[in-house]
Amino acid sequence: MAANFWTSSHYKQLVEQDKIDVVHPIDKERGLTLEEFKLIKIHMTNHIWRLAQHVKVRQRVIATAVTYFRRVYTRKSLTEYDPRLVTPTCLYLASKAEESTVQARLLVFYIKKMCSDEKYRCEIKDILEMEMKLLEALDYYLVVFHPYRPLLQLLQDAGMTDLTHISWGLVNDTYKMDLILIHPPYMIALACIYIASVLKDKETTAWFEELRVDMNVVKNIAIEILDFYDFYRVEAFKGMAESFKGISDEKINAALHKLTPKP
Amino acid sequence: MGDGRAIAGGSGGGGSNRPAWLQQYDLVGKIGEGTYGLVFLAKTKLRKSCIAIKKFKQSKDGDGVSPTAIREIMLLREISQENVVKLVNVHINHADMSLYLAFDYADHDLYEIIRYHREKLNQPINQYTVKSLLWQLLNGLNYLHSNWIIHRDLKPSNILVMGEGEEQGVVKIADFGLARIYQAPLKPLSDNGVVVTIWYRAPELLLGGKHYTSAVDMWAVGCIFAELLTLKPLFQGAEVKGTPNPFQADQLDKIFKVLGNPNPEKWPTLSYLPHYQSDQHHIQTVKYESSCLHSYVHLALKSPAYDLLSKMLEYDPQKRITAAQALEHEYFRIDPLPGRNALVPIQPGEKIINYPARPVDTSTDFEGTTSIQPPQPVSAAVAIPGSVAASSVVPPRAVPRPISMLGMQRMPPASMAAFNIASQAGIAGLNPGGIPIQRGAAAQAHPQQLRRKDPGMGMQNTGYPQQKRRF
Repeated sequence: MAANFWTSSHYKQLVEQDKIDVVHPIDKERGLTLEEFKLIKIHMTNHIWRLAQHVKVRQRVIATAVTYFRRVYTRKSLTEYDPRLVTPTCLYLASKAEESTVQARLLVFYIKKMCSDEKYRCEIKDILEMEMKLLEALDYYLVVFHPYRPLLQLLQDAGMTDLTHISWGLVNDTYKMDLILIHPPYMIALACIYIASVLKDKETTAWFEELRVDMNVVKNIAIEILDFYDFYRVEAFKGMAESFKGISDEKINAALHKLTPKP
Repeated sequence: MGDGRAIAGGSGGGGSNRPAWLQQYDLVGKIGEGTYGLVFLAKTKLRKSCIAIKKFKQSKDGDGVSPTAIREIMLLREISQENVVKLVNVHINHADMSLYLAFDYADHDLYEIIRYHREKLNQPINQYTVKSLLWQLLNGLNYLHSNWIIHRDLKPSNILVMGEGEEQGVVKIADFGLARIYQAPLKPLSDNGVVVTIWYRAPELLLGGKHYTSAVDMWAVGCIFAELLTLKPLFQGAEVKGTPNPFQADQLDKIFKVLGNPNPEKWPTLSYLPHYQSDQHHIQTVKYESSCLHSYVHLALKSPAYDLLSKMLEYDPQKRITAAQALEHEYFRIDPLPGRNALVPIQPGEKIINYPARPVDTSTDFEGTTSIQPPQPVSAAVAIPGSVAASSVVPPRAVPRPISMLGMQRMPPASMAAFNIASQAGIAGLNPGGIPIQRGAAAQAHPQQLRRKDPGMGMQNTGYPQQKRRF
């Protein structure tokens, strides 16, 4: 399992894009659009990222937390599972699964510090209750594979370790999309290497040919990533949180507001 | 609550708001307990198969689901192999924030099998059984190690053996509460504190090593192999309690006495191990010249069994035999060949031993509360496959023992006088060893529960098939 992606639950759970781009009926009833659904997920990914900077966990913990977060919303509604509570809880659960536990009280503390908006605040007991609900929602599958390790190995193999920084940043940005739920992590890594090599004008055709992977899939993932940057007018490689010019707080708040039960 | 046999409902111990999922099980009783929870034996209402349910309590200090439970769930959700215990289901009770793991139930474990031979039968475990148990243990371990999982807490009570049924005599490695994926840990493996029960702890750990590997599991297998042969723990050191990670002088001395003192010529990285380097305890002084392992385990120096054992108990973890290599060892290629049903040798004339089943405390409900009312005459408890009715039930005991999942230590028979429950509950009498006994008066008070048992209450269990397929 841990060594073999092909026998893992992660591999067995990979889904098609069109299964992910579905607004849950309950959210739909409240008028949430697919575009807003995606925006909320991007925004909340950033939220996890920022929170993680405060509690100082490794990249892989963040990536696992985001993967949990995105998996949960392929099954559950934003209305029933408030993303403002689900995000810190995903980080909490991921930190346990990745053997670098962060205490719930620390998360509660930093959320208070970080967010002026009261709606983001929560208590320890909220996180602990949500932890159990998440375990259920995730069907108790907690092992997640990420592109980071294959990325380093592949760059080493290609003799292009000078692309590490740029492709690592690209991999980070892929978590704003649902790629981790759709493609094997090494394919995402390859797509990021491909983009990086094109940007830096590296000749990689021979190397990619030797890998005997389906280059069409690699290129399609690369195009998706570039389209994503384009669409959200993201300035790539600018660091996570501040780079989303296309996403205003108003849009996010309007979307989240739809989900709040009306009195 | 349903048919009234459901224990939580039936025993009046606060089970009135049992979650729906629990109603698919009939609780038989408690089979173990520890600091992080309880283990129950239950039967599925549908298929009547036996399930062990491990209940994790929510910790009081706001830490949420215990890391032990998380580890166990995340590993067991990924792996599937005949010689590894099967996680059948996970349930959550949101009301009291408790978590339940349901496993296929195994009647026996190596701790009990060894103890039964030592204390009741006074005879060694037959060669076929030893070899089959060891082969299957290695087979499961090889699967774990090739998936980058170190078990870290192998000991006889964690090695389960299936009782009567389709999987009879099949070994199941259990208790993954300490298991770790070691391929790319974010934190050093030693961060989790001391692991592995001291008697089975590898010398590199005892000497303060931090970068240990799957070889620690193989050391434990070596200790277990020797114990299967001699019926007593090979290195029975007295544990030094204290914080944190005290030096286990006696354990090391026990090892050195049998294997001789280790030295840097044979074990080059020895010099880097903290406790050896500092030599505060004078372990560099050679006290024991050479190995006398063979005489401890009564094996000929030239025998394949001894060769394999000595390779498992190799000091240098880098030279220690791996599970994959061990499976290829000559020992497993000579007669008797190992088989899938370790409990039933196929040589004609070999005696089949009817091992006793685990004792069950039938007076406890899923909340872990012992009922004041006498429990229902638990017919279900008596119907545990392969069990000897008279021995399958013991009264609740006062002192909790650490549980190791399904392989928890057998609950020691508590004083019957302490709880006058046994007779009320229709317990035939205490006989944890399961040797043939006369039916007690109490049993006769509830003859219906004994009638369900096969007549072979003793050791000649006619229920075991005579022929089983081999690998």
